[in-house]
Amino acid sequence: MAQTEAGSSAYAGNVPADSRWTRFATGFRRWWPYYAMMAPGLIFFVIWHYVPIWEAKMAFEQVRIIPPNLWVGLKNFQTLFASPVFYTVLLNTLIISAMKMAFVFPLPIIVALLLNEVRSGPLRQFIQSAIYLPHFLSWVVIAAVFIAFLSPTDGAVNQVTGLFGIPPVSFMTNTGWIRWVLVLSENWRSAGWDSLLYLAAIIAIDPALYDAAELDGANRWQKIRDITIPGIVPTIATLFILNMGLFMSAGLDQVINLQNAVNSSTIDIIDTYVYRIGLTTGEYSLATAAGLFKAVLGMALVLISHFVSKRLTGKGLW
Amino acid sequence: MADPQMKRTPMERTEQVIVVSTLLLLVVFTVQPLLNLLALSLSDPSKVAGFSGLSIWPAGFSPDVWLLLLQHPNVQRGIFNSIWMTAASVVIGTLGTALMAWGMSRPGLPLRRLIFIFVLVTIVFEPGIIPDYFLMKQLGLLNNQWSVIMYKVVNAWYLIILVRFFEEIPGELLESAELDGANPFQIFWTIVLPLAKPALATISLFYLVFHWNEFFHPMIYLNDQSKWPLQVVLRQFVIGGDKVAIVGAQDANNNIGIAQIDIRALKAGMILITIVPILAIYPLILKFFTKGTMTGALKG
Repeated sequence: MAQTEAGSSAYAGNVPADSRWTRFATGFRRWWPYYAMMAPGLIFFVIWHYVPIWEAKMAFEQVRIIPPNLWVGLKNFQTLFASPVFYTVLLNTLIISAMKMAFVFPLPIIVALLLNEVRSGPLRQFIQSAIYLPHFLSWVVIAAVFIAFLSPTDGAVNQVTGLFGIPPVSFMTNTGWIRWVLVLSENWRSAGWDSLLYLAAIIAIDPALYDAAELDGANRWQKIRDITIPGIVPTIATLFILNMGLFMSAGLDQVINLQNAVNSSTIDIIDTYVYRIGLTTGEYSLATAAGLFKAVLGMALVLISHFVSKRLTGKGLW
Repeated sequence: MADPQMKRTPMERTEQVIVVSTLLLLVVFTVQPLLNLLALSLSDPSKVAGFSGLSIWPAGFSPDVWLLLLQHPNVQRGIFNSIWMTAASVVIGTLGTALMAWGMSRPGLPLRRLIFIFVLVTIVFEPGIIPDYFLMKQLGLLNNQWSVIMYKVVNAWYLIILVRFFEEIPGELLESAELDGANPFQIFWTIVLPLAKPALATISLFYLVFHWNEFFHPMIYLNDQSKWPLQVVLRQFVIGGDKVAIVGAQDANNNIGIAQIDIRALKAGMILITIVPILAIYPLILKFFTKGTMTGALKG
């Protein structure tokens, strides 16, 4: 539009034949089929991802049964920040995320280092096929498996501890243990599969380094310490920073399936709080406000971690 | 290089034993809970009482639990819903992703950078479940299976992986086709798609696993139990502890039919039925996912 107006202005006579309008026209002729092919995807993103962003304005409104909603500014956020429950779920989210950083994040690194020491093809393949499996199961299934696994009457864990005379523990209904259930089940799901990223980094290490170390008489442990670990430190750093970006998401799918009336006080996180007050109690505005608070904080963390990682290790989320 | 087995000292052999047994311990920890449930579900229902969580061998053998569950209308409906909804998501998603990725991978595409940002924004900023829910309400899709089928039908991450793949297709191949008078649609259909078969297989497997395992959105969007996928049926029965969901009120009250079977065995069977499709395609998953993750996950 703007181009045609410029073309018909007083200077029209001085404009070369290849005006902006003709450039646009030739560009259009060349590229419209690609835009036609992208159209379904683009329309999908607009409706399914951008309309909800617009909908999030509900956080600043009071939802009324008969539209339109009433604009209330920051009132919902004031209610949210004045509510003690909000601080409980915020604290739970931070604690659970921190526990996962400390007790879930390192395991795949160890698994990758161990796997790298297994040279025999079939044995290694067998181990890998077994430990990757849980990554492909839903949290409904994993939670169901763990409820059976941790059962105080006949679960495997209590049967084993029972052999040592330890009285059975009802892990699923114990507010002290339930966070460790989150850590354990997350490890069950991802310790194997996540090691793949580190294995990829190990494979990329120059084999000549190992040959040289062998000539110098280095033993296995020295090779791990001086070659393998330094070789994967960039990957560890990248994944650690990127994981920090997900700190506000302590795992909705996991918690919602392992949560019950008894244990929920210590594992109720922001996401489950939003779900509960929004879709169960119907406090839409307050729930949207809590969700938006998390989304904005989460976005800031993800962006910071992405750019920090890009700066320090050269690799980011995309 | 000399065979490492040849010059192994006793010390090295001990180390190897420690490494392998640590990993095998992890294998046991991973697989034992599943084998236990499998054994429980295949046990003779009369011998299930007190079945140990450590056992991986059925007490007696009977396919009763599996047969009863597979004949149960709620389970059958769940299987049917899961299969058709997953299939629809995978077909629409793979095609939509491939078409969009192809456009985005062309170097000269006008506004290319803007489209990338447009997609990345959706990864970074997720306004949460309530706005999503209200969108479904406004579209009139609540309690409609299409709300679940279309959820993340084009996944931004998979889209970017596919763009990266398409960028590697040599330009000469496409130019020569263009000189032969092929239009972009023909080029996409006859050159790009056949070349991209492994990448498309990987992406469709990603989608298959993602949609098969999806329980949260069907749970919040679908009210009618008859529309539920298997994951939600499983959740209601095992996590929610709603025995009636599977057994049925009439049988439960009169303690007849399926209600006579031990509830633990029924739950175990239900869990296993839900993961059978994943196990069935697991060899493919190992083949394609492993490669896809190693190359696509951490692009600089």
